[in-house]
Amino acid sequence: MEAVEVTAPAEQVQRPRAEVRYEQELARLKADDQAARPPGWALSVQAARRFIVGDQKLDVSRKFVGDPSLIERALVTLATSRGLMLVGEPGTAKSLLSELLAAAVSGDSTLTIQGGAATTEDQIRYSWNYALLVSEGPSQRSLVPAPLLRGMAEGRTVRFEEITRCPLEVQDCLLSPLSDRVLAIPELTGPGSMVFARDGFNIIATANTRDRGVNDMSSALKRRFNFETVFPIADLGTELALVEEEATKLLQRSGVTAAPNRGVTEVLVTAFRELRSGQTARGDAMERLSAVMSTAEAVSVAHAVGLRGWFLRGEPGTAEDLVACLAGTAAKDSPEDLAKLRRYLSQQVTWRSGDHWKALHSARHQLPG
Amino acid sequence: MAVTFIGVRHHSPACARLVARTIDELQPAYVLIEGPADLNPRLDELLLGHELPVAVFTSYRDEERRHASWAPLCDYSPEWVALTRGRAVDAQVRFIDLPAWHPAFAGVGNRYADAELRYAEVLERLCREFGVDNVDVLWDHLVEIAPADDLAERLVTYFDLVRGETAADEGDSAREAYMAQWVAAAAQAGGDEPVVVVTGGFHRPALVAALARAGSGGDEPQDPGPSAGSSSPPWPDIPALPTHAHGGSYLVPYSFRRLDAFDGYQSGMPSPAYYQALWEYGPHGAARHLSEAVTTRLRERKQTVSTADLIAARTTAEALAMVRGHTHPARTDVLDGLASALVNEALDVPLPWTSRSPLGSGNHPVVVEMIAALSGSRVGRLHPDTPAPALVHDLEAELERENLAGSANHELDLTREHDARRSRLLHRVRLLGIPGFHRERGPSTGLDPQLHEHWQVRVHPDRLAAAIEAGAYGATLTDAAAAALTERAVTAGSDVDKLARVLFDAALAGLSTVLDDALQEVDRAVGRVPELAPLGQLLAVVLTMWRHDRVFGTAHTTALSTVIAAAVRRILWLVEGVHGGPQPADRGRIGALVACRDALRHAGTTLKLDREDALRIVGRVAANSAVPPDLRGASFGFEWSFAAVGDPERVVRGAFQPATAGDWLAGLFALAREEVLHTEAVLTLLDERITGMDAHEFLVALPALRQAFEFFPPRERAQLAERLLARRGHHGDARALLRGVNDPERVAVGMALDQRVDARLRREGLIVQEVRP
Repeated sequence: MEAVEVTAPAEQVQRPRAEVRYEQELARLKADDQAARPPGWALSVQAARRFIVGDQKLDVSRKFVGDPSLIERALVTLATSRGLMLVGEPGTAKSLLSELLAAAVSGDSTLTIQGGAATTEDQIRYSWNYALLVSEGPSQRSLVPAPLLRGMAEGRTVRFEEITRCPLEVQDCLLSPLSDRVLAIPELTGPGSMVFARDGFNIIATANTRDRGVNDMSSALKRRFNFETVFPIADLGTELALVEEEATKLLQRSGVTAAPNRGVTEVLVTAFRELRSGQTARGDAMERLSAVMSTAEAVSVAHAVGLRGWFLRGEPGTAEDLVACLAGTAAKDSPEDLAKLRRYLSQQVTWRSGDHWKALHSARHQLPG
Repeated sequence: MAVTFIGVRHHSPACARLVARTIDELQPAYVLIEGPADLNPRLDELLLGHELPVAVFTSYRDEERRHASWAPLCDYSPEWVALTRGRAVDAQVRFIDLPAWHPAFAGVGNRYADAELRYAEVLERLCREFGVDNVDVLWDHLVEIAPADDLAERLVTYFDLVRGETAADEGDSAREAYMAQWVAAAAQAGGDEPVVVVTGGFHRPALVAALARAGSGGDEPQDPGPSAGSSSPPWPDIPALPTHAHGGSYLVPYSFRRLDAFDGYQSGMPSPAYYQALWEYGPHGAARHLSEAVTTRLRERKQTVSTADLIAARTTAEALAMVRGHTHPARTDVLDGLASALVNEALDVPLPWTSRSPLGSGNHPVVVEMIAALSGSRVGRLHPDTPAPALVHDLEAELERENLAGSANHELDLTREHDARRSRLLHRVRLLGIPGFHRERGPSTGLDPQLHEHWQVRVHPDRLAAAIEAGAYGATLTDAAAAALTERAVTAGSDVDKLARVLFDAALAGLSTVLDDALQEVDRAVGRVPELAPLGQLLAVVLTMWRHDRVFGTAHTTALSTVIAAAVRRILWLVEGVHGGPQPADRGRIGALVACRDALRHAGTTLKLDREDALRIVGRVAANSAVPPDLRGASFGFEWSFAAVGDPERVVRGAFQPATAGDWLAGLFALAREEVLHTEAVLTLLDERITGMDAHEFLVALPALRQAFEFFPPRERAQLAERLLARRGHHGDARALLRGVNDPERVAVGMALDQRVDARLRREGLIVQEVRP
């Protein structure tokens, strides 16, 4: 049997982590950084802020579209003794923000715990190399540190994705690391039995508001976090530009040379915003879709539309492709959403001018069901 | 000539301080202020000794347009400081802007809004450059919190940049041209004496340029001789109100809450309570004041604010201030700190201070309290000697005449002319939105036979302010109320619910003149109404007014007839579109069919409404099983009330299903109560069917049945009860039977208990027979 090659060269990695992707920018910021750094940080707060909101002078790109004050509050929280909790609708770039923050603060975004129904304390704190444990008993050698232990010992930022997907009792193992900044390893004796957090350790957790109520956090844990809500992009122009840019990138990676049609993308983004907010551009109230209509979803629809147009006909995607793709993303398996979408396409599209809207209206019959 | 221009942001404490310092230093001969020039002869009114905030309220009305605008002034307004300090150093103080009624102000509700907001592009660029969320944060950063040393130069740079090459719009250009005339006149009159000009920073560059042009222009060889200062200068003319127009300017008491409530292009600096504190205590004190106010408010409302939270909030605020390069925490630093520490759940809407929008719905309760603390509750008070507009006197006189001015409760009988007159007066006052006039009871839809009104009149602290502002609508109470009502009708647009209320208010206030204008709107709107209930309400109101000319003086007018016809058409159209199977009875949509039937019955012949067509439609609805039961019942009742049903007993038999019977009957009884009461066969059938339900079915049907039988007035219910007793061979007092069901819940609980006992007895083999008949 042939061994599987597990290390890929960096250029073949599908998605390099943030500190690799933006290595140059981080280096420039570090070289330019005059301000005082919080203990254990790789950059000063100001430089970390510029890493995320962008800085033309140092040719640092803007990586997160949103209020600069959100970034400032998040960074300041990380420098204090409370954890940072990023909450928001799915697809509002919470995970991206958490990755960027960790890369800026610690220069390392890999200490990540992915929350889920099956997450256990072992995956968060530490576990054992059982062969060594049996032969040598509990020792530093047989200890296998998980991200939390490593983050505390090395003074780095730990990311906890989708924390509310974890059972409540698992979440609560964060309590003493957050408040007392210490993690006990009762199996060990001597100085190794208590791991005290080094400067630079903190936790960035993300949670989805759609999961609210699934595993609500205990109020004890809530008190140890500062909450920051990440909102969908407020401005149509900004969102449109972002969707266009990201979709173009994705299409290029998929081998499509035709850029997405701007008119179609505009129709797509407008429709997404209206279905998300439950209000049309002219102010009519309508029902929101229960499906997630995030910017990220819009990007993936734009990608799918482009692929469809290119590989089926060799041209950029059209409004017909959009309708075909919308059913899969927007309505998914919900017949109610499909009905709402059908009503939107038949009644809220006709009053608009523009060829793409007209094409969208006439393609409404392509919705399945 | 030595003209010092200070470009300010209105309601900016830092600018106010700069104005005060400049005037104290220069001791100018003239202080020119952006403010309504027509008020110059009345400047003393402003200085009577009011408690701020107050505002100059200006109204204007002619055939084409109606306009109202405010120029609010508070302790820390640069304009107010210029006025008071100018007087204190014995300068000649003048307002130099166009009057607020001038067409240049069309669409401007707040004279002291930020003019630069209308030219947003450059501001957006600046915000991006500084990495801040919005203009207010930028302003705090650059001006309010920054050291005051070189503030004047910084303001000039800022506003020059903001104004840039932007051409002002027509209104702003007119105002700037006019203000430039004043500046030129004062410069000439002042000679070598200093002149201080305080205007919005956006206008400053234009005024500076205009003065430079005038100085280097054709009239160069001007001799500022020794007499120039003393002779009366050639001040510009103050535009006079056009002869065909009504209007005027008056002082009104103002409040921080209103100051903070302007929106969009009308908005100025937010958070008056914070800036008041900044004016009084400086940046450090203001930050402390703000956190204290928020904490106090939250604790008063029993929200937990722990010491640990406050420490966290303070730490975060200080750290944010440091990151953002502030020597003291600014407004948003403190707010961000408090929000980080106190809000520990997801927000539904973004923090309101990150965008410049007024407080919408969906905000976190803690955030709402924070905004309220920033906004403050201060209310200004006018000095008693302040003059008031004509409406205020008319209102006072009318109220005195009818003895309605003081706090009292009034019981009015609308059938008596004296009381009806008082009622109309009170309604007109109410329509003008003057607080303290509350009708507790009275006819509310035009459908109820209510002919008494109960009013609660209280002397409200805002009565004067509201009356002064209502003066914009007209000089007399009648004119003003009519104008206010017309405006409501126009703005109601296609909202039939609102229009129905306008119509009824018009009738209540005896203002039928306003109806004709309003009704054109109703007619157009009716065709677009999506729902039955509001349309039914509208039709009921209009029909009542169409029929009862004695009370409302709105006899068979053609305008009302058009509305009736349109509403009947639309109701019939909508009824046929309601599907969705069994649903609980909806009184609103049943009401629509009742109104439609009444219209056909009482106005059908006169208005040539097509009864046959209507009956065909409701016939289809009554027979359609996809239609909710209440509408089917109502449609059947509709037919029956026009005697268009062959065998009602057969239909009832076919439609009676235990689960939906109550809802179906509710519809039927609403439209054909009389017919049911006088058809023995149907009553017998209903009795049989209801008795035949088993206990569970009956419990399920009970609420709906109760609702259905409520359509019968007590006397008819007693009749029904008598007949039921008679059918069972009893001849007791039927009323006792009705009283028995006073507490249906208890009866239902008892029945359920009985049934459980039965079931258990049977299970244990203690009884073998069914106990219930």
